[in-house]
Amino acid sequence: MEHSNHSHPHPEPHAHSHSHVHSHAHPHAQGGRLHELRHRLHHLRKQTSMGRVALVALILYLLSGVYFVSADQQAVVLVLGRVRESRVLPGMRWTLPFPFSRVEKLKVLETKRLTVGIEAPDQVLGRGAGEVKAQFLTGDQNIINIRLAVQYLVEDPVLYLFSARDVTSVIARTVETILSSVVVRRPVDDLLTRDKIAVQNEVQTGAQELLHRFGVSISSISIESIAPPDEVLEAFRDVASAREDRERIVREAESYSNDVVPRARGEAERLRQEASSYCERKVNEALGDAARFASLATEYKKAQDVTSARLFLETMEEVLPRMKKIVVESGPGGIDLDLIQRKQ
Amino acid sequence: MHSHIHWNLKRAAAVALAAVLLWSCFYVVTEGEAAIVTLFGRPVRTVKDDAGLHFKWPIEGLLRFERRVMVYSPRPSEFLTRDKKNLVLDSDVLWRIDTPDLFLKTVGDVVTAEMRLHDIVWAALAAEIGKVELSDLVSDKAEPVKTPRVMEQVTGAACAVATRQFGIELVDVQLKRLTFPEQNKKSVFARMRAERERIAKQYRAQGEEAAMKIRAEADKQREVLLAGAYREAEEIKGKGDAESTRIYGEAYSRDPQFYKLVRTLDSYRKILDDKTSIILSSDSELLKLLTQGRGKGGAQ
Repeated sequence: MEHSNHSHPHPEPHAHSHSHVHSHAHPHAQGGRLHELRHRLHHLRKQTSMGRVALVALILYLLSGVYFVSADQQAVVLVLGRVRESRVLPGMRWTLPFPFSRVEKLKVLETKRLTVGIEAPDQVLGRGAGEVKAQFLTGDQNIINIRLAVQYLVEDPVLYLFSARDVTSVIARTVETILSSVVVRRPVDDLLTRDKIAVQNEVQTGAQELLHRFGVSISSISIESIAPPDEVLEAFRDVASAREDRERIVREAESYSNDVVPRARGEAERLRQEASSYCERKVNEALGDAARFASLATEYKKAQDVTSARLFLETMEEVLPRMKKIVVESGPGGIDLDLIQRKQ
Repeated sequence: MHSHIHWNLKRAAAVALAAVLLWSCFYVVTEGEAAIVTLFGRPVRTVKDDAGLHFKWPIEGLLRFERRVMVYSPRPSEFLTRDKKNLVLDSDVLWRIDTPDLFLKTVGDVVTAEMRLHDIVWAALAAEIGKVELSDLVSDKAEPVKTPRVMEQVTGAACAVATRQFGIELVDVQLKRLTFPEQNKKSVFARMRAERERIAKQYRAQGEEAAMKIRAEADKQREVLLAGAYREAEEIKGKGDAESTRIYGEAYSRDPQFYKLVRTLDSYRKILDDKTSIILSSDSELLKLLTQGRGKGGAQ
């Protein structure tokens, strides 16, 4: 449409001037000859105008081969079905127009993402329609559900376009295969705890090796969820709580220990202190008693009889008032002491 | 003028016919594509791995084939290992058309190809899985599982058949998933639960064990501390007792007689209380004066 719109206004004035020149050049020619000439001129004029139309059309046609590759894209150019340029960088480009060329643009910088480990229910043999978690077998013959997120980039546009019909599907299957082979070598406990990073790395390395030939570069693999199936989830949770119980029981014992040992240390210290205070008291008492005795003895020596009598009597005075006293006559008229004893 | 237009029309028709003829003489085979040129339905030439412009006679027909890798996922099916364990294998077949004319002759289209592939891959899998044991495929032991080798064998065997019979190349047969059949899962889950219970018990028992050790250690430490302290305390007390005995002995031995007196009197004070009755003889030292009068006693 564009061709015809543009080409009409131009040829008109040219055609006019041509006819002018010709009519001036041969004004005196004879009728029949003139007619023939005119006919030929007309024909020539028509041919020229057609040539110009064709030229402009050709230019416009060639211009339609211009294409743009935006900043996040790269393009592959096929000429007559064959790859002419495998990696066209961003910018304005030209190639042979349709139907000779085909330009395939790819967003090479865009990270594409897909999830592995969710299966379409209809694909699965004998499983409920609601079941969408992919189950894998672990090395110790446990069953585990894993979901992975895969992020990938187009590494080689030509391979990406022309080595597989559905690259996404190939990536998903390959990653899942590698995941399966990695999981089947490990016990379930390691998978659930310390091996997550190792699994991600191994899957990435393994899948990358196979996906090079499809022009795909895997930028990351991350485990989105990894959990035992619902049927045994409770038992796995109990193991986790048992592990916590173990810690708790040990901590309780430690706190007991932390309570008992310092107490015992304090008690021991108290015993020692008591002993030394006892020792101190005993020695001091002895020293006091000894001093008192020594001074008494000194005085005693000076007046032995008097002092001994005094001491005796003083004692008696102190002791006797609180006792029952029976005084008997000495000699043969004495009473039978057995009587008193019986009475008591 | 009339003849001229007529001539022009004729020419245009000729050009158009030529264009159509020319157009039908050439065809483009795109990258990732193969083509077979046929004459009245009979394959004449095959174009493979040669993208670009090609020539054919206008009366010849053209069939195009996908040469890129395609993915076929057979339904998961059950296989028996050598140790008679049932396994459900979910595999994927990456395949592509290798020999278009053979493919055309024996298979024709993708759906039929997938049916053929299913049979071939199933047979190869059944044969290879029957040669290994479950523990060769599923193991957390140090030696690697044999799965990659098994799948290599499967791919090799199936590919040989598919290439020879159907012109199909198997790029890879991947083992996407390995599970137990649905009817076995109940017992697997029961086993898993039992295993978990065992582990949970073990954890708790380990906790108790450690706790008991810690408590016993603490109790022992307490006993050691207290016993040590008791020993020390008794030693100290003994030293005190010894010292005081020594001091007493030293002091009293300077005048044993006086000591006996004082000590005896002290004992009286302690022994004799208000519950004691005493029978005093009138001629006792204390009462002599009372009975015998001052005259006699006063002389003493």
